[in-house]
Amino acid sequence: MIRTLDQMVEKVQSLNRKHRIAVAWALDANTVIAVHEAVIRGFAQGILIGDAEGIKSICRKAGIDHRLFILTDAGNEAAAAIEAVRMTRSGEADIVMKGLVGTDIFLREVMDKNRGLMLPGSLMSYVCALQLPSYHKLLFITDPAVIPEPSLEQKISMTEYAVGMAMRFGIKKPKIALISASEKPSRHFRSSPDYEEMCRLARSGAFADCIMDGPLDIFLACDRKSVEIKGVETPVNGDADILLFPSLESSNPFYKGLMLFAGAELAGIIRGTTKPVIVMSRSESEKSKFYCIALACLMA
Amino acid sequence: MVLKSLADLKNIVSGKPIKKLVLAAAQDQHSLGAVLRAWNDRIIDPILVGDKESIQNICYEQGYNVGGLRIIHEPETDMAVELSIKMLSSKQADILMKGKVGTSALLRSALNKEWGLRTGNLLSHIALFEVETYHKLIAVTDVAMNIAPNLKDKIAIVNNSVSFLNRLGYVMPKVAVLGAVEMVNENMEATLDAALLSKMNQRDQIRNCIIDGPLAFDNAVSIESAQHKGIKSEVAGDTDLLLMPDIEVGNVLYKSLVFFAKAKVASIILGAQVPIVLTSRSDSEQAKYDSILLAAAASK
Repeated sequence: MIRTLDQMVEKVQSLNRKHRIAVAWALDANTVIAVHEAVIRGFAQGILIGDAEGIKSICRKAGIDHRLFILTDAGNEAAAAIEAVRMTRSGEADIVMKGLVGTDIFLREVMDKNRGLMLPGSLMSYVCALQLPSYHKLLFITDPAVIPEPSLEQKISMTEYAVGMAMRFGIKKPKIALISASEKPSRHFRSSPDYEEMCRLARSGAFADCIMDGPLDIFLACDRKSVEIKGVETPVNGDADILLFPSLESSNPFYKGLMLFAGAELAGIIRGTTKPVIVMSRSESEKSKFYCIALACLMA
Repeated sequence: MVLKSLADLKNIVSGKPIKKLVLAAAQDQHSLGAVLRAWNDRIIDPILVGDKESIQNICYEQGYNVGGLRIIHEPETDMAVELSIKMLSSKQADILMKGKVGTSALLRSALNKEWGLRTGNLLSHIALFEVETYHKLIAVTDVAMNIAPNLKDKIAIVNNSVSFLNRLGYVMPKVAVLGAVEMVNENMEATLDAALLSKMNQRDQIRNCIIDGPLAFDNAVSIESAQHKGIKSEVAGDTDLLLMPDIEVGNVLYKSLVFFAKAKVASIILGAQVPIVLTSRSDSEQAKYDSILLAAAASK
């Protein structure tokens, strides 16, 4: 079982496979440096799409030999996004990654019915693996980036994506905590009826092999001591692998708060696509971007 | 003035006469320990209302001499709560604290129309966090009382919190209204409310503070994140008070800061005639003590 992001990188290295990553508008140093690191570590080949002179100049400034990459010229952001997605769809690349192109332009291309990468009828969602010094293993969280107010059906898809990812990390029977403010279901919370239905589905075996309980608060999900003090019976028992959040509003400050205040690191990718899709915000560090690339390679 | 740590509250308290704290249904190991410690440190003068024999036994167990303690014998919980609250509404004491009684029962009595502690204001919860990686204390509201506040409730919560911070010595506290994103999004009600609160503040409809929102968590507490996104704001990166969109968001953040970021926290209920200390069993002894300290500092 993989317990840290560095172990995840080792696992990917041990696969002895070079994943081809098409980067749309590879004109920010953070992204190029992160792809370079993956190339050096031997598990990736970088296809950098964009203004070739600009990319070369970024490489020069970062002290990177641009000949380590395949450079593909594209005139502007949108053309780069179209080309990156096209290459990935046609099998010329295994993974697609957003560079300095706007998220909306990039995702529009990924979601395009005719040219894009969506699995038919599937939900686009985001799952990330969070590494926390104060937790004994990785914590998978969903969805901190895409779906504002997931419906029951969307929550089910999110769960399946997270379980799929946890299993790739060697977690045989992931424990899923459905997060709320309290362990007591309440008509005041829109999440309560959905959680009740999900637990019923889980009991009837609708999900892959997993343990599910909710609503649970963060303490009962992640802290065994709190479970003892409160005397609450829960199969998750303070040992959650996956946290499913009721809204983007609750998951977003959760992960940002932990990145800023608890020394967390993360790796995340888009799910619901035929090939892994990496989207990160500009402000993310090189290290986070590198971990995202490694995660995409693990999931490819 | 700005507080850097919870220990700074002691300076505020030591400049005032010692406040009287009434512990309602005081035969409670969890709260009584913290009360006795605060008494020993001359932070408050306790009045213990409840079953005298049990109270004395707990005091002995914790190594305290009951000689100088004021204990009022009332073995019936309901009566003990009523008696406690009447002492406060008749101005014989300054702070109310919950002992061995349910939160809802205590609050119902506190809101009694004839002898309760109503002011006409909404009751709201405020928590003060000390996080190693932030440059000062950060107050968060409302993570425990108001489930899904509407705009009117949010105005009341901000007013409660600002007048509390003003009392602690903050002249113009910086208030960040939290959203999952920093852009106003017509589909996300929290961002609309945030924009309205900011404008009401500019127009002096909400005074004695500087409000900005929506801000995502990282923009609110990190100047680098805010600059990265090009956000111009007096509040970004220097927030004193974070207003939560709803209790699920607030509660998740509160518990993850305590558990994963090892934050210290003190919290009280505002909006009644006196500060109310409501701690839960899963709070640490230190959190209970710091909450008493906070109530003493906030007491008029």
